Amino acid sequence: MKDFDYEVIVVGSGAGGAMAAYTLTKLGHKVLMLEAGRDYDPKTETPMFKRKAEAPLLAAGTVDKDFGFYDATVDGGWSVPNEPYTTGDGSEFKWWRARMLGGRTNHWGRYSLRFSVHDFKGKTRDGLGADWPFEYQDIAPWYDETEALVGICGTNTGLDDMPDSPEGVLQPPPKPRVPELLVAAAAKKLGIPTAPMHRAVLTRPLDDRAACFYATPCGHGCSIGAAFQTTTSLIPMARKTGNLKIITDAMVRSVDVDETGKVNAVTYVDKKTGEDILLSAKLVILAASACESARLLLNSKNPHHPNGLANSSGQIGRNIMDSTGMDIGAHIPALENRPRYNEDGHTSNHLFIPWWGHKQQAKGELDFPRGYHFELGTGFGEPGAGVGGDLQGYGKELKAQARKFYGAKVSLALRGEMLPNKHCYMEIDDKVTDKWGIPVAKFHWKWSEHELKQIDHGLKTGRAILEKMGATFTEPLPSAESKILKGGQIIHEVGSTRMGESPKDSVTNQYGQTWDCNNLFVMDAGVFASNPHKNCTLTIMTLAMRNSTWLSSQLIKGEI
Amino acid sequence: MNNLTDFKLSNAQLANINFANASSKAFQYKNAMTRRQSLKWFGILSATAVLPTISGCSTLKDVQALIVGHWPDIKLAPITAKGYGKDPNLILPPESPWPLTLTTEQLSLVSVLSDIICPREGSVPSATEVDVPAVIDEWVSAPYDMQQEHRLYLLSGLTWLDDESQQRFKEKFVQLSNKQQLTIIDDIAYDNEDTPSEFRFIAQVFALMNQLVLSAFFSSPEGAKDIGYMGNVAIAGDYPGPTEEAMEHLNQKLKELGL
Repeated sequence: MKDFDYEVIVVGSGAGGAMAAYTLTKLGHKVLMLEAGRDYDPKTETPMFKRKAEAPLLAAGTVDKDFGFYDATVDGGWSVPNEPYTTGDGSEFKWWRARMLGGRTNHWGRYSLRFSVHDFKGKTRDGLGADWPFEYQDIAPWYDETEALVGICGTNTGLDDMPDSPEGVLQPPPKPRVPELLVAAAAKKLGIPTAPMHRAVLTRPLDDRAACFYATPCGHGCSIGAAFQTTTSLIPMARKTGNLKIITDAMVRSVDVDETGKVNAVTYVDKKTGEDILLSAKLVILAASACESARLLLNSKNPHHPNGLANSSGQIGRNIMDSTGMDIGAHIPALENRPRYNEDGHTSNHLFIPWWGHKQQAKGELDFPRGYHFELGTGFGEPGAGVGGDLQGYGKELKAQARKFYGAKVSLALRGEMLPNKHCYMEIDDKVTDKWGIPVAKFHWKWSEHELKQIDHGLKTGRAILEKMGATFTEPLPSAESKILKGGQIIHEVGSTRMGESPKDSVTNQYGQTWDCNNLFVMDAGVFASNPHKNCTLTIMTLAMRNSTWLSSQLIKGEI
Repeated sequence: MNNLTDFKLSNAQLANINFANASSKAFQYKNAMTRRQSLKWFGILSATAVLPTISGCSTLKDVQALIVGHWPDIKLAPITAKGYGKDPNLILPPESPWPLTLTTEQLSLVSVLSDIICPREGSVPSATEVDVPAVIDEWVSAPYDMQQEHRLYLLSGLTWLDDESQQRFKEKFVQLSNKQQLTIIDDIAYDNEDTPSEFRFIAQVFALMNQLVLSAFFSSPEGAKDIGYMGNVAIAGDYPGPTEEAMEHLNQKLKELGL
């Protein structure tokens, strides 16, 4: 890098890395970004308007493309070629990775809900898990800025689980659709609210990004930039400053230190040549994803940091939390043969069910400590594999049945908060390495009674809502154990390098600065002290913006 | 994937199914309907019945022991082609991602079956008119676990049909008159308490065929129009929401449900 005098190295180009790079380059700092995957350009690579029938197997998921042929995940998914991970005996854990510029922001669900007052101080309230080292009020202005920059559609609801944004920050949400309105009516009967989902989808143009035209699932990526991904927004904007340089196909092997234990270099494998390349570093920000960053730190052992870099607390790899997940669905007779119209919308929830139980929990009326929300699976989706459903017969009658049932299924997807526990952690597998010779992550997982009781509540509530809509269930209520999805499966893994008030029980301070090395920061979801049920990406970006701004002030003051 | 409970087309991997608007990603991998449907299938056989490893050359022998009536013991050459990989071109998907494996004879039988399942209705074309058999050929020729499993069931089912035709009418299925064909189809197209035990297994395989044909048909432009899918068009300005007619229908239903 003789021709580029960078001040900061950022590892990763997803939500955290791109926001850090954007913020720092805007503030005049030169940033070198390393991305383990290939270059990726949504403008030319996104399959807009492509029909399922145009893809192999009607675009259904396979081990090559787990979420369907068109999903915007390159060289990844539940498995990455030549880059395995392992699990401990009796543990199941699923780890979704992407190897592309922009990382997982290219395909994410775009749900963008603020964490609330409750979320940052869970331990103060119920004694479990860990508090965050700041208050909601400290981060609220940064949410405002992030929401305005990213472009979030939704409305202020005044609900206690959904903090309001200032006037004019949110863009108008799309109108709800028929099955969503039916869910809303049924939920209301049970005293349960519904609200417009907040999504990182533009309904008004912003910068050079167009507003949504309500076609093509966001998971395919978005060539017009309406559905937020860093490759159509933060990365090109940071590049425009002239202060950003990106190296793709650069898999970081280690973060290296000088004789005093301070970070002074990064070593990466150039995947195209297989060669190791050493880059000197004044300041390093890790944003490789919670578990990749933790893996990198644990693999960066040296005499000053014998248990892994910045791991004097022993907390790296501990406290991993995913969201809990459970799906319950039913056929709704009231939705049979209903009038057709274009129900694509912004291709995901226009309405959802936010957590409504804070007051009940405060009164001790619930047997689980943390909340959840329901996402709604409904609609006249594009027909694909399985569209007919489980039908009998043949001929005209069979086709008539398929038409009758089309758009008449409703599913409720629970996404809940889990608590950290000592059985959920990762370490380095001392027997397995990836293609580059880098030791791999080994995961351990076990749900606690808190999560299972929450799922049980969700099963009962979900059923009650569906029954109010006219669904009938003949089987007994399934057990929470049989219905809870696997650890990692919701792809909200966080907490592996958590922040806190003290170097004893946390890895970084509230700014993502590691306690052990003042020129090493973590800006992905690894720093989360808890994992509220609201999907992590908005908060990753908000923290990265806040913490990069603080980092810049420290650089300017000469504190780092 | 070896357990019979994973057999149904509507299972985990097929997922996106009717829930194209489904919420978070992981939802696509499991849903309440799926499990229930699978259990229904599972109930037919002993709770301990487990298929041998499903590779291209395995047989249905273990299951066969539990089947009442005849069931063919077919040998399949393994599929050795590669999948389309983890970074295929999404703008120009591969037209033939792997070699197709159905014989002309099998394709003929698939075509006849496809049009029995999904015939022409007025101006709406039949399954074969929108190339459903080609989709099925691609499906059963794919090198992925689920599709290979489907291949075994489906090709066994095709052989069963010819065996049954021979037993009843001394000819192969495609050579029968439409009326003769339907006497067999009527026996296997429904799976309920009244289904004779000798048809309960083939009825499940027929259901798989049903799902494949309907999936391929309704995914075609003509089929999508027939089922009433109106999306995938760019909208200028705000999303308009439900039509008046759709809202009237909803309001009527809300009233009926007391909501």
